[in-house]
Amino acid sequence: MAHSLEERCTPLKLEYDSCFNSWFEGYLEPAVSVSASSENRAKYSREKAEEYERKCGKIWASYRDCVQKAVEDKGLDGLLEQARTENPLKEPPRMS
Amino acid sequence: MHYFSQSFSYDHSWVHVIIGMWHKYPNPHCSHVVTVDVIDRSVDPSTGVIRTERVLGCKQRSPAWIVKLFGGSEDAFVREISFVDPSTQTATISSVNLSLSQFATCHEKILYSPTPDGRTAFHQTAEIQARMMMWRTAADKFENWLAMRFEQNAHLGKVGFADVLRQLWEDAKDKSPAGTPA
Repeated sequence: MAHSLEERCTPLKLEYDSCFNSWFEGYLEPAVSVSASSENRAKYSREKAEEYERKCGKIWASYRDCVQKAVEDKGLDGLLEQARTENPLKEPPRMS
Repeated sequence: MHYFSQSFSYDHSWVHVIIGMWHKYPNPHCSHVVTVDVIDRSVDPSTGVIRTERVLGCKQRSPAWIVKLFGGSEDAFVREISFVDPSTQTATISSVNLSLSQFATCHEKILYSPTPDGRTAFHQTAEIQARMMMWRTAADKFENWLAMRFEQNAHLGKVGFADVLRQLWEDAKDKSPAGTPA
């Protein structure tokens, strides 16, 4: 896995990435096949979102704090804010 | 304005390609991408859609005239937002450059969707545009250079990701990708 933009954050990043990846690898295939009914989907999604929070929430919080500080230190926070204002992308984009 | 697009298919299921997405870097074919950070991520508890915002750090040598005109840093950063929707088997990735964005923007969109025969279609578009504050000739030259660089990187990305998917899934017939800790 690639390094963090801030070397200090790399150990946290690697730990977070492996946590997310192992959760995601268990999540995706059942998430595709559960789509039969929307109730099942909602139940599965809720359970899995909670599981992700339980398993990776803590390491995510540490990594996020580290990388947020690094983003500011590198002067990227303003550029990021501008990009978010121009295009928040809270919803999936339409593909032509 | 320069417009770029390409479409092709990966010989892997949609699930395998999307799992592979998070393993694309570091990649010897794409050595210009040196850092990858998740800065925001949410798992929607009702739809199951995963939204991820990342910052990618790139290092690539630029021609002398670019450095002179726009400043001397080899470090460039990109903002990338992806949505993975398992219910529709759709994954989209949108990227825009953060660095040099006062001079030019490169908006890239990628879509991964399943094909009827169990493979995964990849569709990529990019729009590259210099901002108008520059002399026309400089703007044109800069835009041409960016477009050429984008096309080179797009090709490397294709080759590089195909390698990653092959290594992850070839000979690994069970669900867990090879070579990653369980």
